[in-house]
Amino acid sequence: MLNLHKSEFWRSFRVATWLGWQIESNWADPLLFVIYSIVKPLASASILVVMYGIITNSNFQNPLFPYIYLGNAFYIYVGAVMGGVSWAVIDDREHYKTLKYMYVAPIKIPVYLLGRGVARFLTGSISVFITILAGVVFLKVPIVLQQINWPLFFLSLLIGIVMLAMMGLLLGSITLLLVHHSFGIAEGVAGALYLFSGAIFPLEVLPAWLRPVGFAMPITYWLELLRRSLVGNVAQAFPTLAGFSNLDLFGILVVLSVAFGILAIYAFRWCDYRARERGLIDRVTNY
Amino acid sequence: MSPLAIETRKLGRIYKIRGNKKEKNVRKELAALSDVGIQIEQGELFGLLGPNGAGKTTLIKILTTLLAPSTGEAFVAGYNVLNEPQHVRPRINMVSGGESSGYGLLTVRENLWMFSQFYGMPSREANQRIVDLLKLVGLGDRINTKSSDLSTGLRQKMNIVRGFMTDPEVLFLDEPTLGLDVGASRDVRHLIRGWLDDDKKRTLLLTTHYMVEAEELCDRVAIINQGRVLACDSPSVLKRRLQEDILFEIKTSPLNGLSAQAIEDLPEVHTASLTEMEDGALLKLALVEESALGPVINALTDKNITIMSLNKHEHSLEDVFVQLVGHSIAEAEKGSQDE
Amino acid sequence: MSSDVTQPQVDSIYKPLPKVTGWRLFLKTVIARAYPRLIGQQREKSWMFFDIFLPMLAVSAYVFVYRAIQAPEDYVGFAVMGGAMTAFWLNVLWSMSSQLYWEKEQGNLALYIIAPNQMMAILLGMALGGMLATALRAVAIIFLGTILFNVTFVVSSFLQLLVVFMLSMTALYGMGMMMASLFLLLSREAWHLSNLAQEPIYLVSGFYFPIKSFPFWIAAGASIIPLTLGLDAMRQLIFASGPALGFVSVKLEVSVLLVLCVVFLVGAKLLLDYMEKLAIREGRLTESRR
Repeated sequence: MLNLHKSEFWRSFRVATWLGWQIESNWADPLLFVIYSIVKPLASASILVVMYGIITNSNFQNPLFPYIYLGNAFYIYVGAVMGGVSWAVIDDREHYKTLKYMYVAPIKIPVYLLGRGVARFLTGSISVFITILAGVVFLKVPIVLQQINWPLFFLSLLIGIVMLAMMGLLLGSITLLLVHHSFGIAEGVAGALYLFSGAIFPLEVLPAWLRPVGFAMPITYWLELLRRSLVGNVAQAFPTLAGFSNLDLFGILVVLSVAFGILAIYAFRWCDYRARERGLIDRVTNY
Repeated sequence: MSPLAIETRKLGRIYKIRGNKKEKNVRKELAALSDVGIQIEQGELFGLLGPNGAGKTTLIKILTTLLAPSTGEAFVAGYNVLNEPQHVRPRINMVSGGESSGYGLLTVRENLWMFSQFYGMPSREANQRIVDLLKLVGLGDRINTKSSDLSTGLRQKMNIVRGFMTDPEVLFLDEPTLGLDVGASRDVRHLIRGWLDDDKKRTLLLTTHYMVEAEELCDRVAIINQGRVLACDSPSVLKRRLQEDILFEIKTSPLNGLSAQAIEDLPEVHTASLTEMEDGALLKLALVEESALGPVINALTDKNITIMSLNKHEHSLEDVFVQLVGHSIAEAEKGSQDE
Repeated sequence: MSSDVTQPQVDSIYKPLPKVTGWRLFLKTVIARAYPRLIGQQREKSWMFFDIFLPMLAVSAYVFVYRAIQAPEDYVGFAVMGGAMTAFWLNVLWSMSSQLYWEKEQGNLALYIIAPNQMMAILLGMALGGMLATALRAVAIIFLGTILFNVTFVVSSFLQLLVVFMLSMTALYGMGMMMASLFLLLSREAWHLSNLAQEPIYLVSGFYFPIKSFPFWIAAGASIIPLTLGLDAMRQLIFASGPALGFVSVKLEVSVLLVLCVVFLVGAKLLLDYMEKLAIREGRLTESRR
C-alpha cells in the first residue's frame, strides 16, 4: 500500500514535470525562448534601476542599490514557481481542457500541480542568473565569488523554492474556485507580495501597521538569507532584520515554510471539495 | 427560375499538414475534398452522410465562407462563397454539434440576444423570438441561467436556437444531435421539420453519422467518404438500388443434419447461410422470388425442425452505405482511429 | 410593434423579422459585443480583488521604493498614475490582442465571421467594453492611491486632460485591434508574445517614471505605444512638476497621438481584412492548435 502511494506520487510528479517542460519549451524556437527568459526579467530590473538612477543621480555604490537589485532578482522565483504551479489549473481547465482527465487519472492532483511548476523553476533560474550577472557586470553589484557563503545560499534557495511551491499550491487551490481573469492571478499576487516581503525596500519604509504582514511572510526571511549569503555586508546595513542571526532567520524560514505547506494541503482539500461540489472542474470562463 | 440553394462544381480542398520538429521540411498534403459536385434545391432537407474525417465538416466550412476551396467553385443562395461572402453571410447560419457558443458568464437569453444583434435584428422582437424558440425546445425555464451552468445537451439546444433565430435562407447543421439524448434529439428533429415546413423556400443542409436520423429526416442524402461523394439521391431510391434479392432471417431449433448447401440447392434460393446458436440455428436467406420461401419451410419441417421466428429483412441506409463504402460507418470510424 | 410579435404565438415563431444593415448593424454589433465585457465581467465579484486590490498593492511597492530613496513627492503621484494606466495596457494585451485567439479556441470566431456584421465592429465592441470596464479599475486605483499616499494634483486644464485621455485610449485600443488581427494567425505564441510585451513596455513607456529620463531617441521610439505620450502629457497636465519633467510639449504629444489614432485604426481595418482572407485560404479560422 505504501509502495503504491509512493509510486503514485512519483508518477504524478514525473509526468507533470515532463508535461510542464514540453509546454514551456515547445512553443517556439530556442532563440525566442532565450529572449523570453532574458528580456522580460531584465526589463523588470531596469524599471527599478532607472527609478533609482533618476532620484539618486546614479549613486549605485549605496548599499540600498544591491539590496533592491538582488531582492528583485530573486523575486523572479516568486512569480515563476508560484505562477507555474497555480497557472496549471487555468491552463489545464480552460485552455487544454484536460483538468477533468487529470482528475479521473490515478494521479495526485496536488503533486501534479507541483510538478507543473518545475519547468518554470528551471526557466526562472536562467532569468535570475542572467539578471544577477547583468547587475554584477554593468552596475557593479558587489558580489565576490570568494566571499559567498555557498552552503547558506544553496540551503536557503532550496527551502525557499519548496516554500514558494507550497504557496503556489495554495494559490492553485484557490484558483480552482475562481474564473479565468484577464491576466495571471499568480502574477497579481506576486506583484502584491512584492510590497510586503522587503524585496525592493527595507520593511521599515512601510507604515508601522503594515510591517507585521511582512514579518509573517516567509519570503521576507528567504530574501534576507539570500542577500546575506551573497553580499553579507550590504544586508547588514539595514536594521530591519539585523537583530536575527543567520540561524534565527533559517529557523523562522523553515517554520513558516512548514506552516504554509500545511495550510496549502488543507486549502487544497477544501477548495477541491468545493470545486467538485459546485461543478467547477471543467468549466470555461472566458468573456 | 429561382437559383439553387447550394451548388458546388468540382469542389476540392487540400490541407497542407505541417510536419513535426524532425520533419520540418517534409510537406504533407491531405485531400479533404475532391471533385464534389452537388446541387441542392430550395426547400430541400439535404443530408451529408459519412464517417468522421469523410470531409463533411470541410464542405460545410467552405459553404459557410470560413474556408476557401482549393479547386472548383461553390455557391450558396446563388452567390459565390469565395468572392461574395458579404451576400452569402446574411442568408445563412450554422450550428456545429458539440461546440458551445457565446460566453459562459452570460445567461442563455443574453448570449442569444448578442448573436441576434450581429444579424441586425431589432432587440425587442429578437428577445420575444428567443423566448418562443427556447420554449419550443424545452429550455423555457432556463432563459436566465448562465450558459456555463447548463449541461452539454442544454447548451447544444441553445446553440441550435441560435441557428434558427436569425431567419436564415440556408441553414447548416453539422452533427446537430451529437451528444443529445433521445428526447432532446426528437425535439430538435421536430424543430427542423417545423421550420422547413413553415416556408418552402428554406433549405437545410445537415451532416450526421446517425443513419436513422438521415433516413427519417432527409429528402436527399449524399454519401461521402474520403472526400468523395459516392452517391446522392433520396433514401428510398438509394435503398432500391441495392441488389434485388429478398432477405429473410429464420431462427430454428437444432438442425438435425440439414446443411446450407441443401437449402441453396432449392429453386429460386440465391444464397443461404447457417449459423449454429446455443439453442438452435440462424438461417439467412437471399431469395430471387418471395415464393421460394415455401419450399424452404417445407424442407425444414420435413427434418422436424421447428421455426421459432421468421423476419423479412428491409434494406436500410446503413446497407447502402456498406455497399458503397465497403464497410459500416462504425468500422470506418474505428479504422480512422486506428490510423 | 405589431401585436403578433409581443404575444408569443407558435405559428409566428419563424416569421422573418425586419433587420437593419449598414451603419446601424455596425452599431448594434459594437454594443452587443461590448455587453459581455461590461456585464459578464462584473458578474464574478472576484474582479474587485484581482483587478483593483492586488494591482493597488503592486503600485504601492513602487511608491515605497520612491519613499526609500527619498524621491520628491510628485514621483509618488507619477507611480500611482502609471500604475493605474497599466490596467489599460494589460487589458489591451490580454483581452484584445490574444482575444481572437481565445474566441477561435472556443468556436465563437467562426460564428462572428459567418454573421453579416463586420469583424471591425466586433473588435470595436471588445475594445469599447474592455476600455469602459478597465476605466472603472483605473479610476479606483487612482482614487485609492491618492487617498493612501496624499497625492497632490494641480490640474492646469481639464479639457486638455480629457482630450489627451480620449486620444490615448483611441490610439491604444486601435493598436490592440491591429494586434488582434495579427495574433489571429498565431496560436500558443500569442500568449507568450503578450507576456513578453508586459515589463519591457512598462519600462520604455515610462509607467513608473518620466520618459524624459531616457535618451531622446529611445523615448521617441517608445512613443509608438500610445500610452507613452498619453501618460507623459497627462502627467504634465496634473502635477506641479509635470511640465518640467515632460518629454515634449503637450501640443506636440496631442498631435502625435492624433496621427497614431488614424494609423492604428486604419491599420487595424486593413490588416483585419487581409488576415481574414489569409485565414480563410489557409483554413486557420476554425482549427485549434492547443
